[in-house]
Amino acid sequence: MDHRIYRTFGSISFLTVFTLLLLLPAAAFGVQTPPPVQTEWWVWEIALFVFSFFLGIIAVIAGVGGGVLFVPIVSSFFPFHIDFVRGAGLLVALSGALSAGSPLLKKGLANLKLALSMALIASISSIAGAMVGLAMPENVVQLSLGATILGISVIMLLSKNSAYPEISEPDTLSKILHIYGIYYDEQLKKDVSWQIHRTPVGILLFIVIGFMAGMFGLGAGWANVPVFNLVLGAPLRVSVATSIFVLSINDTAAAWVYLHKGAVLPLIAVPSIAGMMIGTKIGARLLTKVHTRVVRKLVITLLAAAGLRALLKGFGI
Amino acid sequence: MKQELHANRVQLSYATVLFWTSTLGIIFIIAGYLTYVLQLLPSAVSPAEVALHWHLRAAELHKVVAVPSGWDWLTQLGRGDVISYASIVYLSSVTMFCLAVIIPAFVKEKDFIYTVLTLLQVTVLLFVAAGAFSGGH
Repeated sequence: MDHRIYRTFGSISFLTVFTLLLLLPAAAFGVQTPPPVQTEWWVWEIALFVFSFFLGIIAVIAGVGGGVLFVPIVSSFFPFHIDFVRGAGLLVALSGALSAGSPLLKKGLANLKLALSMALIASISSIAGAMVGLAMPENVVQLSLGATILGISVIMLLSKNSAYPEISEPDTLSKILHIYGIYYDEQLKKDVSWQIHRTPVGILLFIVIGFMAGMFGLGAGWANVPVFNLVLGAPLRVSVATSIFVLSINDTAAAWVYLHKGAVLPLIAVPSIAGMMIGTKIGARLLTKVHTRVVRKLVITLLAAAGLRALLKGFGI
Repeated sequence: MKQELHANRVQLSYATVLFWTSTLGIIFIIAGYLTYVLQLLPSAVSPAEVALHWHLRAAELHKVVAVPSGWDWLTQLGRGDVISYASIVYLSSVTMFCLAVIIPAFVKEKDFIYTVLTLLQVTVLLFVAAGAFSGGH
């Protein structure tokens, strides 16, 4: 128990320092007065790897997608243009989704039909979002990113998921699309069958989510999960797993726009992907050893601070 | 057998292809990156040179240095920077491979709706991968 308290205390201290650093003006990091390179390139590579590693750990503990933390924080601390940070953010979210997808599909937690029904329109809007995002002036990107991140913090703070929503009657569209399923629930130790309702509303919401994910290079788990769970009425485990699967399709679509617009640099994307993946694995091991609720609240605070900082940058402050 | 109760055959096929293609993708991006940064192969633009310009907008950086983008690297496969970039292109194509594999499976099951839906999804991804929505290169 003592160890748990120490670990939680350690996480809190780390996150508090992190949040305070985020609130410092950008000039303190030399971010707005960029090159010529005073620091060797490989130092930034190692720093990005280490940073993404820690981000991966706290993202898992807090139950927050790494992609949503990556863009606002890395664009604050590192000298990379936000175009490349968004490109890397999409690839971080995409590679995480690809590596998590297979076991979730095999266990029936992620549902192919539910995902495919939502992903087609969402991926098209994701492409549109990426094109708009890369065409916008930098200060507008920062302003809208800041506002979006602040909105995400509020959603995360307020949303209350429902583990097993009750659906009295599935809607017509979900019946036509054969969207229903059964999965083995480890907690209940039994098979749970599920169905959904309000499918057309869900599709409309996924258009908005796809657009924002493409525009800012954010993973969209923060929005996918509440829509699957609270709007469509899928069980929480199915919502989380299917969200990851939808994300792999939408982020693929948006990533290609970034690739064609030249907004992907392997020097920025690969250390981020590798660091985040290793961090996520370590974070999953620490999950039972720290007070996740406390860490989650602090991560949401950190996210809000990153949003505020992006907003201030957008205003040129 | 129990697995098929929770996930149908199409879903299991997708999962198997996804596992192998994504594992290969992770290995490929790390190998490609090491080839580039350790300069095991010659590159048109060194990491140090990219670092001098990574504060610029993507469009401006490409005016200054010839880093790969889109498909413009296809004729220069022997370069370290190109191999690293190609690994990211591969990772961005994994979902397309997996979706393409399940189309015949849906056809075999006579599932008309999902055959069409998956075909449309693959078409959208192929178009964006070809650069149709972004001007291409």
